[in-house]
Amino acid sequence: MNVQQSFARRGFLRGALATAVLAPMGGALASCASGGGTTTGPTGTVSDANPFGVPDNSTVDAVIFKGGYGIDYVDFAGSLFNKNHQGSTAKISPSTAISTELQPRFAGGNPPDLVDNSGAQSIGISTILDQLEDLQPVVDAKNLEGTPIKDTLYEGVLTPGTFNGKLVAINYVLTLFGVWYSATLFEANGWTPPKTWDEAFELGEKAKAKGKYLFLWGKEAASYYLELALSSAIKEGGDEVRVALENLKEDSWKHPALTKVFEALDKHVKAGHFKPGGSGTAFTAAQAQWSNGQEALLYPSGSWIENEMKDQTKADFKMTGAPVPTVTSSSKLGYEALHSGGGEPFIVPSQAKNKAGGKEILRIMLSKDAAANFAKTKLAPTIVKGTVPADGFGSTALVSQTKMLDAAGKNVFNWQFLDLYGMNKDVLVVWNAFLDGKSNAANLANDMQKMSDKIRNDSSIKKVEIK
Amino acid sequence: MSLPPPTAVLEGGRKAAIQSRRKNLTFDKVSFMVVFLGIPLAIYLLFVIWPFLQAFVYSLTDWSGFSPNYKFVGLDNYARIFTDDQFLKALSNNVILLIVVPIVTVVLSLILATLVTVGGSSKGQVKGLKNSSFYRVVSFFPYTIPAVAIGIMWGQIYDPSGGLLNGALNALGLNFKDYAWLGNTSTAMACSIFVIIWGFVGFYMVLFIAGIKGIPAELFEAARIDGAGRFRTAVSITIPMIRDNIQTAYVYLGIFALDAFVYMASLFPNAGGPENSTLVMSQQLFFTAFQRGQFGMATAMGVVLAAATLLFSGLVFLVNKLTGGSEGGRL
Repeated sequence: MNVQQSFARRGFLRGALATAVLAPMGGALASCASGGGTTTGPTGTVSDANPFGVPDNSTVDAVIFKGGYGIDYVDFAGSLFNKNHQGSTAKISPSTAISTELQPRFAGGNPPDLVDNSGAQSIGISTILDQLEDLQPVVDAKNLEGTPIKDTLYEGVLTPGTFNGKLVAINYVLTLFGVWYSATLFEANGWTPPKTWDEAFELGEKAKAKGKYLFLWGKEAASYYLELALSSAIKEGGDEVRVALENLKEDSWKHPALTKVFEALDKHVKAGHFKPGGSGTAFTAAQAQWSNGQEALLYPSGSWIENEMKDQTKADFKMTGAPVPTVTSSSKLGYEALHSGGGEPFIVPSQAKNKAGGKEILRIMLSKDAAANFAKTKLAPTIVKGTVPADGFGSTALVSQTKMLDAAGKNVFNWQFLDLYGMNKDVLVVWNAFLDGKSNAANLANDMQKMSDKIRNDSSIKKVEIK
Repeated sequence: MSLPPPTAVLEGGRKAAIQSRRKNLTFDKVSFMVVFLGIPLAIYLLFVIWPFLQAFVYSLTDWSGFSPNYKFVGLDNYARIFTDDQFLKALSNNVILLIVVPIVTVVLSLILATLVTVGGSSKGQVKGLKNSSFYRVVSFFPYTIPAVAIGIMWGQIYDPSGGLLNGALNALGLNFKDYAWLGNTSTAMACSIFVIIWGFVGFYMVLFIAGIKGIPAELFEAARIDGAGRFRTAVSITIPMIRDNIQTAYVYLGIFALDAFVYMASLFPNAGGPENSTLVMSQQLFFTAFQRGQFGMATAMGVVLAAATLLFSGLVFLVNKLTGGSEGGRL
């Protein structure tokens, strides 16, 4: 009996050790195979129909994030690839956890040929910057119709994927940020989307009179209000605001433009224009309170919002987007200026075996057929111009996006530091407290500054200079 | 004919013994050793010990996780995480869980187990409450639900505007409109702990029931004849008799409390709760590794977590031994 007991105990301790250590170190475990060198792989003949020299009878291994857009749009490009390159095949695999799934492959030196590095578990781009192919040749190449790809793209869409002057990611989906509202509701009440924070406050009071709120939020998406504030402040103070934040400069969060925007938001919070309890509400539930319950008038978000809430939007809602309000009517960049980000960043790892194949699929995706197919099936524009008809396939949100883009012209901007340095988790904590009324404009600026300072002063974090 | 010297006899005997031992190494024995000792040992070394060592080595590097290159930075990562206010916050949150979760769960499930086994009528045979088998099944239900589902479900129950909890409180005439249970520092941790305990009580209750059923009924009957009430019986008979089960439960729950990743991550997706009041070490580790790309530092956190777990298990064994528990316990 004694012997058995002691064995059982040892087994248990062993189990305890294993659970305790193995679970958190799963990632490290997977790394046993770190090593491997650069592979050039075979190359095919370079021609107009094959600008990157995809070798004959090769396989392209693409791992695509399977989120709101699915992977069928890449399958579409994959089948075109199979048709154009007889004998070669594109293998398109879905993944919902890019980072955890591909980490061992990157560390082991056998990454896929094409990756859609998207989703909540995307790979922090700064950690793999020097392992990515320069994608400039892709945009320099001609598309399947014979036009150079760079001439077919919207303004500024390549900046989100450019780091240290190198184009390492092509964000396939064009994402606009703004405030979204129900055109039907606004028309019925004679409201218009606010152009300045003063107007927004007035609208908030009107909403209150109707028993509604101006804004609402959900705990995982409190950061959308940071997006709103940053857009507004950059429009007010110009590019210098953005550049200082991007490069984690001292006191960059104390810029007068930001201070004014934070104060305006604080005024809304204190006036009860935010639906209380957001910090304990799941963001999907909160968004439904806006799109279905119509408890709030405005919701700041990216243009994916229509697709995301498709099943939970009130009939005849007529979702429409508007640029975010500015502090004054004489802001540096004008009310029409837009935060245009990219969604679905596609990357080609340098160590991939068939880099040419990865680039070729990207080229096909950026050609007319595939881009038009995406716009039509996903009701979202790609970075390729002219794929959305005037009626926006019947979507008011899509029509308003085209309008916003045309009005903005060259005044589009984007920032990278939040994703670059993985700040989302800390941002959520600070912004939930602020929107809850537990903080104020000054504390908010301090908290954000502390976050930025901490990264700047941490020598173990690689910094990327952004212009 | 002379006798060989005694030493030679001895040596010869020893040789014979060795030879016979070698002869005993039949194929049967060797294959048995390979299959039941060699293979498990190899697997254990390869998948347990080797990753331990690797993890420790990686914790001394600045490895990003995504490249084959790294350089050694000594104990820098450890110095960093122990001066990082967020990791320390996470550590202290784990300590809170470690103190509260095991003790509350064990006490609650002990009470329930006693009620359904020996808490019944004090006349006749020693038995549990009426319908005790029904209660036993019902209280085991939560354990059959996956932790992620539990987290999502309770996230909905705690929802400020449409949640069951606020709905019930409002129906009782209390004004809890829009109160965010998971959004306030004062309630977030307590609410999370409640969810965790809710999920575990049933399982440990069943564990304790099995222990109590193993105690001879005569003991309870004798105690009752001597005039012991239900509480006295529980304290003086039940608990000492199932001491080993309690120790097991305590260690398991403690290890869980030091992890708690699944519950916290599903109750507070992407973040650490209001003002990081529910952030746990495993979450911080995950963020550091996969969002920040600092695998070196993340593995250092893993090593700290492992050390904390070992320390805790050691403490429980020590306390049990010092307070007179059986040698080692039955685990």
